[in-house]
Order: sequence, then structure tokens, then C-alpha cells
Amino acid sequence: MRLLDRYEEVVGHQEVERLRRLAERLAGKRIVHVNSTRTGGGVAEILGWMVPLMTELGIDARWEVINGPPEFYRVTKAFHNALQGLPVSLRKSDFDLHYEVNRENASRLNLEADIVFVHDPQPIYLPEFTPPDQVGRWIWRCHIDASRPDRGVWKYLETAMSRYRAAIFSLAAFARPMGVPMFLIMPAIDPLSEKNCAMPEAERLETLARFGIDPDRPLLLQVSRFDRFKDPLGVIEAYHLLKPYYPTMQLALVGGPADDDPEGAEVLREVQDRAGGDADLRVLLLPPDSHRAINALQRSATIVLQKSLKEGFGLTVTEALWKGKPVVGGACGGITQQVHDYHTGFLVHSPAGAAYRVHYLLRYADKRQRMGQLGHDFVLQHFLLTRNLRDYLAMLLCLDHPEAGTLVV
Amino acid sequence: MDETEPFCVMDCSLVRLATGRTCSNLRELLEAIRTAPEAVIEHHMMRCAVADHFELYEFPNDFARWCWTALGDNVAAEELGLIDPYRQYSSGPLRAMLVNTIEGRLWGLDHVRWCRPGLELHLIESRLIAYDTEERLNTPSALLDAIEQMSMRSLFYHVHEARRRTEGRSDDFSAWLEQLGADPGLISALRAIDFYFLNLSQLREALIEAFRRYVAGAPPVPRSVA
Repeated sequence: MRLLDRYEEVVGHQEVERLRRLAERLAGKRIVHVNSTRTGGGVAEILGWMVPLMTELGIDARWEVINGPPEFYRVTKAFHNALQGLPVSLRKSDFDLHYEVNRENASRLNLEADIVFVHDPQPIYLPEFTPPDQVGRWIWRCHIDASRPDRGVWKYLETAMSRYRAAIFSLAAFARPMGVPMFLIMPAIDPLSEKNCAMPEAERLETLARFGIDPDRPLLLQVSRFDRFKDPLGVIEAYHLLKPYYPTMQLALVGGPADDDPEGAEVLREVQDRAGGDADLRVLLLPPDSHRAINALQRSATIVLQKSLKEGFGLTVTEALWKGKPVVGGACGGITQQVHDYHTGFLVHSPAGAAYRVHYLLRYADKRQRMGQLGHDFVLQHFLLTRNLRDYLAMLLCLDHPEAGTLVV
Repeated sequence: MDETEPFCVMDCSLVRLATGRTCSNLRELLEAIRTAPEAVIEHHMMRCAVADHFELYEFPNDFARWCWTALGDNVAAEELGLIDPYRQYSSGPLRAMLVNTIEGRLWGLDHVRWCRPGLELHLIESRLIAYDTEERLNTPSALLDAIEQMSMRSLFYHVHEARRRTEGRSDDFSAWLEQLGADPGLISALRAIDFYFLNLSQLREALIEAFRRYVAGAPPVPRSVA
């Protein structure tokens, strides 16, 4: 079965047919995506489905990956943090290393194409070292919230933008003016991935048993790194406020181990201290590839929380909505695009607010069910990868006709 | 009827662009509306409907929604929510009406409210990319059948975008039915739908209801693909 046929079973024949019609206008276009890793991380996950789907739609799409020494990745990790506004300490030699690694990769990679999408800051200087006749247009796809970057790092990256035709950001709030058109394409989830696909009931129950969670009692769940911006302590506070009213309620805080993140380790310690010996409050540290376990936990939750104080797009919210769960989320970042009061959940501003909204949802099973259904439909319409792909195709057509307000192609 | 071209079903995709401008209070919104490109006003007043999903949105445009949810200025929201951009056939009068409404609201305020950080209005402009789906319809009942199934984006293109394209005269459905010599009552009923104050799913229901009143009993005709 072809890949698009599998998605057709989820999104319907009409949606896939419309993608095919739109893609016909771009048939044969040579497109290259460049990033810094083929496995691990959100960008690799996106390219893992986007490149084969573009190919199936008749576009000549390829995926190239840059490489460099370990020191290069330390520098680009610092760039990543700096774009998100964290203070970083970088020397001139760090910038020089980044520049040189881009030069080396430009001579090694096959970048000949009509359009090259450069994902995130790691390969951003490739255009500087690529003969102009090899690439029609360069587009920078920034997956990071770059609205308040570190000035020094931004100035360095901004210099590279002079060779780009456009940039793409996930949300308007993440964009920073840079002298080229800034397209907006919201991220999406893959409904057939391990984390989101349908799951046998036996596997779901087995997962709960493995983590000591009772499938017959209400379960609140937050899946996120142990990071202050995700406010796990606020979630525990909300749980404590509610526990007297719902003594059978359970809470699971699920994240990865924080071995390489000193601040994360500290937050995790605080969370574990605050959890105390409460058998109904589970703090679960799962390896990064625990997609099916997370899938099972999300499907088992009564209500999902994402009580962040600062958030990127918040794809964990999308995943929960897709599984028909109402979400109580912090009013920030992409959560505000997905959680709509009384429709898909509630936006909250404090632990008390979270407790109040969870109380309401626990009390009214019919409202939970209704919101869960709306949330699922909302994701089906707006946040699956077919929509993401359609946005890319439309943007490419728009590049060919920059003058038009409404363009009939 | 045979001489009329079949109805051509179109679909569309909205391409959104950040402008880098944001508003944190009503005064900034006023300044933005005075100076922003036409495409920005068009997006926030008209094209935002493509992204709508829920049945209970209080207001049909982004400016009114933002005043309600982010500023907590219910009066401004109510007044902006009532402005129908499809009754202003060029951007000048629409912009003037928005400016006048916000100025009037500011006139009566002792202090302006600011939104919480993170809830700013980010100004966006958009382009609509429309394309032929190659689906062709030959009869009113086939059109009704298609309206029941077509994407929200197609509905937006054939009603909202058509009204903008024709300076308010007609949607694509009633224009085609008129050429076909269909019942004038059906054509009037379709043109009387106050589409701007409906979301796209409510619009679909309103269209179907109008059709059923005039094409009742007609068996659904399979859609033909050209």
C-alpha cells in the first residue's frame, strides 16, 4: 500500500485527492531538505514523512544531512538555546567553527535543486558556499521560537539570511523580522506514528500495569520534560488542591531522564520531593523512544494537563487532543492555538485555575466526552501532517507568484 | 440547461505571512489599522474564517475576538464584531469604519487596557491559493450533494471569496444556478444567507436548508468528475 493510501484511511479520500491536485502544479520540482540529523528530534521526524510524501506526489524531493565534529553540535546546541532567549557564552572560534563546517558540507552535499529548505540554524550558512547556479531559491525553516533571541547569535545568523528568499516560522509569535517574507506553517502530528496510532486494549492495560496505574480510577497526565517552564510543581499543587474532593484520583508526570541537563535534574529532584510517598502520584522517567508507552498513557488519561508557563507549539497537546482527551493547558505559546475554552479544554493561568477546571471536567463526564470529540475533530482538520504538507505546497506556489492577493493556479 | 457550463468545484489554501507587528492595547490596534497594508485587514476581518472550527465563537473577526479574550474589552469586541466587511466593497471604507469604531471606544475610556504578555495580537497577512479540483457538477441536486461533502475551504472560496470577487453581488453557487435558470426563490434564499456571521460549518447547514426548501424530493445525483 502506498503511503498516501494509508493516510487516506485517516483523513479521507477527498483530502488526499486535493493534495494530489495541488501537487500537480509542482510536479517535477526539485526540492532538497537539509538538516543536521537523520534520526532523533522533531525535525528528523517531520522529514521522515515529508520527503516520501512529496516524492509520492510527483515532486523530486531529497533529504541531505550535514555533519560535523562533536564540538560543532555543542555550538549549534548553544545557538538553539540562544534563539530561545537563554544567555549563552560563545567565543569567536565557535562562530568560526560553525562557518567552516558549513563550508565543508556545502562542497560535500548534493544541493542542486529548484528549492532548498534549510532546517534550523545548523546548516544556515550553506548558501554562502554554494554556487548560485546550483540552487533556485533558499528557504530557512525555523522550528524554534526565535522571537527574543540572544543578540550576538541573532546578528550572526541574520547575516546568512541575505541569500535566502523566505523564512518559515511555526507561529507569528515565534517570528522575528529579518528582511524576507516570513511564512507561517504550524507543525502537525503523524496519526500513524507509534506515538499516535491506534493501540490494542491489551497493550494499553499492560502498560498501565507496568507503571502501577489503576485503569479503573481517574488519571491526570502531564507529559513533558522536567523543566520549570512546564511547571510540574504547579501540576502537583493543583493535584493536592483536588485530592480531598477526588480521593481516588491519580496523577502521572511523565518525562525523560535529565542526566545531561543540570537544571532538569534539579527540577526532577524537587518534583520527586513534592510527590513524597503518595502512591497515586507517579513520576515516570522514560527513555526517549518510549512512544508506545506515551501513547498508552495518553489514551488512558481522563484529562491531560500541559500547564506550561512558556511553551513552543506544544505538540503533546495535539497528541492528547487527537486521542480524544480534553486538555487543561497554560495560556501560552501554541497551547492558545489548540486549547479553546469549553471546546477542547481550558486555558489556565495558575495551579488554582488548573484545579478548578479539572474539578469541572472530572464532575461532568458528558462534557469531557464532548470536548474530547471536538478536540479530535479539531486536530483532524488542522493539525495532521496532510495539512502541513498542503501548507508547504501552497507556499511554494505562492513563491512563484508573489504579487497575487488571490491566486488561481 | 445543457448549454450552461458545469459547476467547477474549487478548493483553496491559505498562505499566511507574519508582518512582525504586534498590538498590546486598543491604541496600538488603532494605529495598526490606520497604517497596515490592506492584506492585513483583509486577513483579520475576512480570511480568518478559514481557520474557524467551533460553533460558539462569539465574533466573526480576529479584532473583535482579541478585544474580548485578550483585552477583556467587551464593548470594543461587540462593536467590532458587528462590522460586516462584505458590505464595504473596497478597503478604504472598511478601514475608516474600523478606525471610527475604535476611536469612538477610546474616546470614552479613562485608561486603555493592556493584554497580558503572550496574548498580543500578531498581525498577519495572507494569500489565497485557489485551484481546480476537477470535480464538475451538472444539476442543482448534484450541487446540493456536493455542498454536503465539500471541504470548508471550498465553501469559503465559493461563498466568502466569491462575494469579495464580485463586490458583494453573488456567491458562486447562486451565480451558477441563475445561469442554469433555476428557481429564483432558491437563488434569493442563497443570496440572503448572512454568511459573514456564520462559521463555515453553520454556513454549510444554511446552504443545505435553502436548497432543501427548493430542491426537495430531488434524488441525490452522483457527482461527475471531468
